[in-house]
Amino acid sequence: MRQVYLTVFLLLVGSICFATMTDRQETIQKQDVEKRDVSSEAVSKKTAAKKTAVKKITAKISYNRDVRPILATKCFTCHGLDEQSRKADLRLDLRKHALAVITPGKPDESELIDRLTSDDAETVMPPPKIKKAIIKKELAILRQWIKEGAHYDGHWAYQVPIRSPLPKVKQTDWVRNEIDRFVLAKLEAEGLKPSAVASKETLIRRVTLDLTGLPPTPKEVDAFLADSSKNSYERVIDRLMKSPRYGEHMANAWLDAARYADTDGYQKDNARYMHVWRDWVLLAFNKNMPFDQFVIQQIAGDMLPKATLKQQIATGFLRGHRINSEGGAIPAEWFAENLVDRVDTVGTVFMGLTVGCARCHTHKYDPISQTEYYRLFAYFNDVPEAGLGANGGNSPPFVTVPDSWPNLSPAENRKITPKPFKIVKKNGATPRPQPGGPKTVMVMESMKKLRPTYLLNRGVYSAPDKSKVLKPGVPAHFDKTGGAMPKNRLELAKWLVHPKNPLLARVTLNRYWQQFFGVGIVKTSENFGSQGDLPSHPQLLDWLATEFLRVKWDVKKIQKTILMSATYRQASKTSAALRKRDPENRLLARGGRMRLSAYMIRDQALAASGLLVEKLGGPSVKPYMPLKIWNSFGKAKYDQQHGDNLYRRSLYTYWRRTTPPPTMTSFNGADRETCNVRRENTNTPLHALTLLNNITFVEAARFLAERMLREGGKTSSTQIRYGFRLLTGRLPSEQELTVLKRALERFRVKFKNTPAEAQKLLSIGEKKYDKKLDVQELAANTLLASMILNLDETITKE
Amino acid sequence: MNSPLEQMASEITRRYFLGQSTTGLGAMALASLLPSELTAEKSGHSGSSASATTDSTTTGSAKRKRPRGVTRPPHFAPKAKRIIYLFQSGGPSHIELFDYKPGLKKYAGQEVPKSVYPDDRKTTMTSAQSAFLVAPPQFKFQQHGKSGAWLSELLPHTAKIADELCIVRSMFTEAINHDPAITFFQTGSQIAGRPSIGSWLTYGLGCEAADLPAFVAMSSRGTGRPAGQPLYDRLWGSGFLPSHYQGVKFRNQGAAVLDVRNPVGVDRKTRREMLNGLAEMNRLKFEKTGDPEILTRIKQYELAYQMQMSVPELLDFKSESKKTLAAYGPAVQKQGSYAYNCLMARRLIERGVRFVQLFHQGWDQHQDLKKQLPLQCKDVDQSSAALVMDLKQRGLLDDTLVVWGGEFGRTVYSQAKAKKKGANGRDHHPSCFSIWMAGGGIRPGMTYGKTDDYSTNIVEKKVHVHDLHATMLHLMGLDHKRLTYPFQGRDFRLTDVHGEVVKPLLG
Repeated sequence: MRQVYLTVFLLLVGSICFATMTDRQETIQKQDVEKRDVSSEAVSKKTAAKKTAVKKITAKISYNRDVRPILATKCFTCHGLDEQSRKADLRLDLRKHALAVITPGKPDESELIDRLTSDDAETVMPPPKIKKAIIKKELAILRQWIKEGAHYDGHWAYQVPIRSPLPKVKQTDWVRNEIDRFVLAKLEAEGLKPSAVASKETLIRRVTLDLTGLPPTPKEVDAFLADSSKNSYERVIDRLMKSPRYGEHMANAWLDAARYADTDGYQKDNARYMHVWRDWVLLAFNKNMPFDQFVIQQIAGDMLPKATLKQQIATGFLRGHRINSEGGAIPAEWFAENLVDRVDTVGTVFMGLTVGCARCHTHKYDPISQTEYYRLFAYFNDVPEAGLGANGGNSPPFVTVPDSWPNLSPAENRKITPKPFKIVKKNGATPRPQPGGPKTVMVMESMKKLRPTYLLNRGVYSAPDKSKVLKPGVPAHFDKTGGAMPKNRLELAKWLVHPKNPLLARVTLNRYWQQFFGVGIVKTSENFGSQGDLPSHPQLLDWLATEFLRVKWDVKKIQKTILMSATYRQASKTSAALRKRDPENRLLARGGRMRLSAYMIRDQALAASGLLVEKLGGPSVKPYMPLKIWNSFGKAKYDQQHGDNLYRRSLYTYWRRTTPPPTMTSFNGADRETCNVRRENTNTPLHALTLLNNITFVEAARFLAERMLREGGKTSSTQIRYGFRLLTGRLPSEQELTVLKRALERFRVKFKNTPAEAQKLLSIGEKKYDKKLDVQELAANTLLASMILNLDETITKE
Repeated sequence: MNSPLEQMASEITRRYFLGQSTTGLGAMALASLLPSELTAEKSGHSGSSASATTDSTTTGSAKRKRPRGVTRPPHFAPKAKRIIYLFQSGGPSHIELFDYKPGLKKYAGQEVPKSVYPDDRKTTMTSAQSAFLVAPPQFKFQQHGKSGAWLSELLPHTAKIADELCIVRSMFTEAINHDPAITFFQTGSQIAGRPSIGSWLTYGLGCEAADLPAFVAMSSRGTGRPAGQPLYDRLWGSGFLPSHYQGVKFRNQGAAVLDVRNPVGVDRKTRREMLNGLAEMNRLKFEKTGDPEILTRIKQYELAYQMQMSVPELLDFKSESKKTLAAYGPAVQKQGSYAYNCLMARRLIERGVRFVQLFHQGWDQHQDLKKQLPLQCKDVDQSSAALVMDLKQRGLLDDTLVVWGGEFGRTVYSQAKAKKKGANGRDHHPSCFSIWMAGGGIRPGMTYGKTDDYSTNIVEKKVHVHDLHATMLHLMGLDHKRLTYPFQGRDFRLTDVHGEVVKPLLG
């Protein structure tokens, strides 16, 4: 850092010093000669470079890593892609245009540098009023970049992934598969060592949570501990991937991305019925549908030759957006909003691009013009929908699903042509299309005669540019397939899964990585565009992407490769030094340690206590919710259900968009209003209040206590050990056992003195307690079980 | 000072409040924004950990040693330290309440000229009407106070504080339906997904109290139209900001804060014992794994325990004098009433809550305006005025901004099937409407902006929703152009790329 400032200071002082500094820089460059060779290699230095600016400057400047972020933030707004806002007819995003103000090799003769350093408020760039003044460090980078020839590179994510040769590493005995070579090479370059393998208990809990969203049973842990064969771990993975729980767990992240919900989301937020589509998703995961099929069917299953009903149902993905049916709403406006949501969702989920920026103006940072945005729009402008929702039930087009779903006979499994919408007007109410009931599901359908698509000025529905009808098309910059432009949704879907599409495999693999490690190789998993984060391991990401294609989009196979790596199997224990060096674990010198998701926290409590009712699919259920959760703001009433429906997995909990389940949102569940592929992970006092006091968790604590007393052996010690193990997968240390026993003793004293209180505590929840057990002992153990459910380790994947 | 472990714990807590904990983005945004402030953080000048300091608030009932949160300095010296936003959901009729147009009488029953009200932005609820007939105001107006502000006879208590008010008659918005319009007012965008004003403020300025949220929302149902427009969690949501910036909704029935009470059968002493054991277990875990997130968790459980005390104390009006209670009106003791929420708002801001927002439903007078509007006004008139005066008496009005208003106004034409005279009801009208503000750096005793003879279009001093947002942030010491958050590759603002501070409104 010091050196950078010194450089700049001297540069400002005068030209004599300038020569001195240049020599010095060149010397340093020579030392780093190996680092500069491959530009993608330089990109991978980002994490380290962040912390040590010296390295950044002394290594050869990389356009993508060093220069582009500066130009993008400070210059491109007025000198970038967007014609509308371009000033002085100058572009700095393309070299041939930028050469108007850059003289390669000669920073001092470059007008760019002149303008950046000008003392004159009239000429200095960026203009003072936009408050984005260039800082010293940035100036030093730009100077050196120009000095080195002002080279531009294409954005990494828009290049077709290249499978690079596996890097050489020293600690070869650590390596289990190709992934480890990439990770280790980088660690060795950073002078770091990988962590030891996690204990078997930790490992089986980690992988069971990652693949099924539920903890392993003590029996499963025992079997793994007893299995000393070489492939014992692999067998665990194979077993878990065959479990129906796998699809349920994988579906969660997909539902967040697909903004799946049980209501329409606007105004009165009335019910819709999309659970059949939700079940299609989890079944697709369970039967390991190849990912390209998974994509094609959801985007254009209805257009496949001899389409089946199941393929048609898959297109519910594109109907998952919110639908407005508010009295007085102007259909044309909401018609446009539905399209916007489809384009944005497809852009984020399959391309990792923020295409939405181009709705109102040409994208400022990524090569998507406003016209191209509306050409994407045109793909989805083929649905015979009414613009206005049905307000209570599914909005057309929808189809009725046979009762035998999902076990359809061949005769039943045929595409159904949806009935066209019919505007119905009931006495005085706003005219709306006919609703579909609980046995229907919303699907896509292509009209014979397409609606014309126009560019909407400023993105406003009422300002179409009718001078030109836009044909469907993908942004030219991303089309590496060399074929004809895809003409319709089906061709678009095939284009997305084309091996030359640079984005789909990378974006998908990155999300899996994020799911298992907490942070993606590209941290901004929603944005692979030029304003997104650069990959920590670009070659690894590309290897994974090419491998995904090689195994023919086999999801379970590619996930297994990740989970089998030594990288994944590392212990998550850290030292203060490593934590300081790499707080977010981007270098992967240790295993990931992260809080469980909202879904997993509840499901784990239900599973460990024995309350969980496992039933695959079906209509959404309404478990415990705070009193009058819905009607405190409106007329809708939440009818809590009873019995088994209180204990189903969170995947099936009824999701009302305007009032989502508070426990889910408190633990950072997605809001399901729009597409979400990355959730944060906060740590707040409200979490404590939920886990300590919420009826779901208090009832689960009581059931856990009953299990401990019934199944945990004869003594307090064995019972505590059993309960602790149900949640953490391991046995408590002697020290931990002492703490837990002491707490239990206190709780016993408390309830011995106040037996009526014990009765009260046990009355929480609808499932009755086991009358054969001693009331006071059960109450004391309930509090102890609650303590176990609240442990940091319990709600964390280690 | 403390053990290394405790030091680390407080360091971690600080990190959490800065949003650095696991996401890091919030802090990064801040670092690019407010470098001086981050330096201050590091050297410990501004902000303090939740455990390290306690704060005694000055006002009587709230006086108790309470843990302080971590604050961030504003961009410049603020005029207001907190905001109470009295949101009137549904679209109150500016024509009956604030925008006095005696001249409308002479147009009564006549068609509104198309030049004044073109057809293309009428909702489909009335666009098919056979006629658009002018309905003059249905209630009387009078001038009040030294300022001579014109106010409706429906607002007698508000009239008494006329000289405290700054009435803006030239507000306008872009949305015409309730959901998009209220979402626009709350987040600066019609489409869901952006952070609400309160979460932007929390992100910008941090949290004063550690045991209460920085941003609280409450709601009440109007008696004029009890089945009013629904409200949505997104109105106090944090959008793409980290979720700890979201508002906490105090429920208007049952327990105000979810899960704040111990389960039946568990007393406070037992809870303490359990938390002690839990903290011990978590510390053992920390020693084994070294994950600082565990220390944050220990701290959060302590804060939760504190909240279990501070929330019931907050909700208990026992310490309020009879006089105060009487001033807010008879409904003040009823949980979920507007009056109750007004008093609660004062109690919240006394305890360091920065942004309190009330939503009063039922202002959607499509029909029966003559019957419904007086009831709606009666719900809010007395307690809104009482709140302003209560703040003033306690010396809090100077640095507390109070805002009163809805998401749009109502049409000058009558919404009626038959060619009836008089306002049966009025449809939504986004092109002009009125709000008022008081306290917190706003110029009192002023009426701003002017509409045309039909109270339909603004003729001078337009104030867009973005302008109002810019002004509110400005009063809180934040530059709306600098309060940004990077998301999907661009720096987002509450005011998008628009908004100007309305300088003439500033005191």
